[in-house]
Amino acid sequence: MKILTTVKKVVDVELTIRIADGAIVEDGLQYVINAWDENAVEASVQLKENNGAETTLVSIGGGDNTDIIRKCYAMGIENGIHIEDPALEKADSSIYAKVLQKVYEKGDYDLVITGKQAQDTDSGQTGIMLAEYLGLPCVSNVIAIEVIDEQHVKVSRLGDAGTERVELELPAVVTVSDSINEPRLPAMRGVMMAKKKKIEVMDLAALGTSPEEVGGGAPKSEVVEFMASKTRQSGQKFEGNAADITTRVVDLLVNEAKVL
Amino acid sequence: MAKILVVADIKQGELKSSTAELLSKARAIGAETAVVAVGSNMSSLTPDLVNAGSDTQYMADDPGLELFSAGPFASCVVDAAKQFNANLIWFGFSESGKAAAPRVAAQLEAACATEITDVVIDGEQIEIVRPAIANKVMQRVKVNTGQLVAVVRAGAFEAADGVTGTENIVTLSPPPSDLKAVIKELVSDASGEIDLADADIVISIGRGAKDQAGVDLVKELANDLNAGFGSSRAMVDGGFMAHNKQVGQTGKIVAPSLYMAIGISGAIQHLAGMNGSKVILAVNKDPEAPIFNVADYGIVGDLFEVVPILREEIKKVRS
Ligand SMILES: Cc1cc2nc3c(=O)[nH]c(=O)nc-3n(C[C@H](O)[C@H](O)[C@H](O)COP(=O)(O)OP(=O)(O)OC[C@H]3O[C@@H](n4cnc5c(N)ncnc54)[C@H](O)[C@@H]3O)c2cc1C
Ligand SMILES: Nc1ncnc2c1ncn2[C@@H]1O[C@H](COP(=O)(O)O)[C@@H](O)[C@H]1O
Repeated sequence: MKILTTVKKVVDVELTIRIADGAIVEDGLQYVINAWDENAVEASVQLKENNGAETTLVSIGGGDNTDIIRKCYAMGIENGIHIEDPALEKADSSIYAKVLQKVYEKGDYDLVITGKQAQDTDSGQTGIMLAEYLGLPCVSNVIAIEVIDEQHVKVSRLGDAGTERVELELPAVVTVSDSINEPRLPAMRGVMMAKKKKIEVMDLAALGTSPEEVGGGAPKSEVVEFMASKTRQSGQKFEGNAADITTRVVDLLVNEAKVL
Repeated sequence: MAKILVVADIKQGELKSSTAELLSKARAIGAETAVVAVGSNMSSLTPDLVNAGSDTQYMADDPGLELFSAGPFASCVVDAAKQFNANLIWFGFSESGKAAAPRVAAQLEAACATEITDVVIDGEQIEIVRPAIANKVMQRVKVNTGQLVAVVRAGAFEAADGVTGTENIVTLSPPPSDLKAVIKELVSDASGEIDLADADIVISIGRGAKDQAGVDLVKELANDLNAGFGSSRAMVDGGFMAHNKQVGQTGKIVAPSLYMAIGISGAIQHLAGMNGSKVILAVNKDPEAPIFNVADYGIVGDLFEVVPILREEIKKVRS
């Protein structure tokens, strides 16, 4: 089985994000692998270990992605492709999906595993759109993948009515939730080996496409302004005798907040 | 005039409140409204769909549509969107909506935005507002296509009083089922429990509740208050709470009048699911826990001591 995993480099969401003049202030930011993509990498590597598979990752944009791709190598991914092109600066999910389509078509993959969402966009669109463009079956928000045979996998998805178990005919696309696994910490040996591995870097021309073909010149939507989110004020905090402060808070919930 | 198609949010045969909220917003903008309902055995829902504020009802009612499957679901929405000539196609916040919206957008070659909290329509120009980066920032997004498929964040719009629509039913022909993604089984969530999305009060527990005894203790409080009973991811990972009880970025987004976070530290991924709540009460033994930064009322204390008192005091004031 050939598996393609998508990995995006995103801003570290645990750090403070400042905004000035409608844009995010670069100073002080750090970049990491999108958390849900770490789950996708872990899922791919587990399939490789348990069922035998060839694993490739692709990452689009982000400038120097050496660190994050090496981390995925150290986790057990075998091949890495990095697509970097100035025409992708304003890319939306649909454009990333079209670039991924090109990568897919060059590689003859059986299964694409994406994260369910990128932590910088919180969009949750790219993998699903990729499947649409490729005409492949797709299940999103997946929490388990089980190989049935060369042509089929069975996946579990968290849906509105409960856990849906779906049999997918390959090739197919799945987007994974963080509930699917606990990404491993790479072993030292893996980290050393990863340093020697090559990363295939390409622009759109090398990928056999053009900015126009992937919609790069005209994103369907674009962020025109970043704004600070409404922060909640911290309210009244009570310390001391449990009975006293709890009684006091219940009184406030009833008479001040009027929610009880 | 903008034409807004709202995708009906139906769970266990019931129309969820998001449908009326979205239709109210659509009417407030001055748009022409329609709703598309996808499912099985829905004839009894027609009055609800009309009363929610739709002027046309596209119905895809077929036994083959009983279990959710994103492909056929999206096909029905695309069909309705084309017939109605919709500029905006809105899904309420649900896993089905999140799965179907990107498909619908790809098929229509429309723009797509998830978790929108506001929309501004100025002639042909559509702009939306949405949170990003785990709610740390808001984005104003310009739509360049004239057509937008969006998933509306829970609690973003309110249902207006006195709204109603007119009945004009259009029957959609059922799409073929997805033979390459066949749903084999649905393991239903415990039914009879209060849906977190509907509850006026939600009480969630975190790792601080420790074990089954802690879960049971807080659950009694939830039962007393007829509240939704939710959880942080830690208690789901620990096997104490079902997946569908998780509140947060990966779980449910809730916006109740009162949210109680009991033994929850307040990681951003959890906050992203509940910081739209009207009033937040936190109980945590660590005075520095980040949850206190967003809580309107904070009790610093051991939940095993505080929760029983909370129950008693609430019982007193309620009787
Ligand atoms: C991609 C991604 C997605 C995620 N999605 C979600 C999500 O949807 N929802 C979610 O919740 N998390 C999510 N998480 C996990 C999140 O980052 C936190 O790990 C999680 O929310 C922590 O849960 P917690 O607050 O219960 O546990 P902890 O962080 O361990 O906090 C436990 C708290 O309990 C307090 N405590 C302990 N004992 C007591 C006591 N006796 N009385 C009172 N207080 C006590 C402690 O002081 C502490 O503050 C996600 C993480 C990632 C990376
Ligand atoms: N630039 C990118 N490079 C590689 N993968 C991406 C990129 N953008 C999105 N993806 C994948 O698509 C998923 C969903 O992204 P989004 O639609 O932005 O939420 C991510 O978790 C990634 O797996």
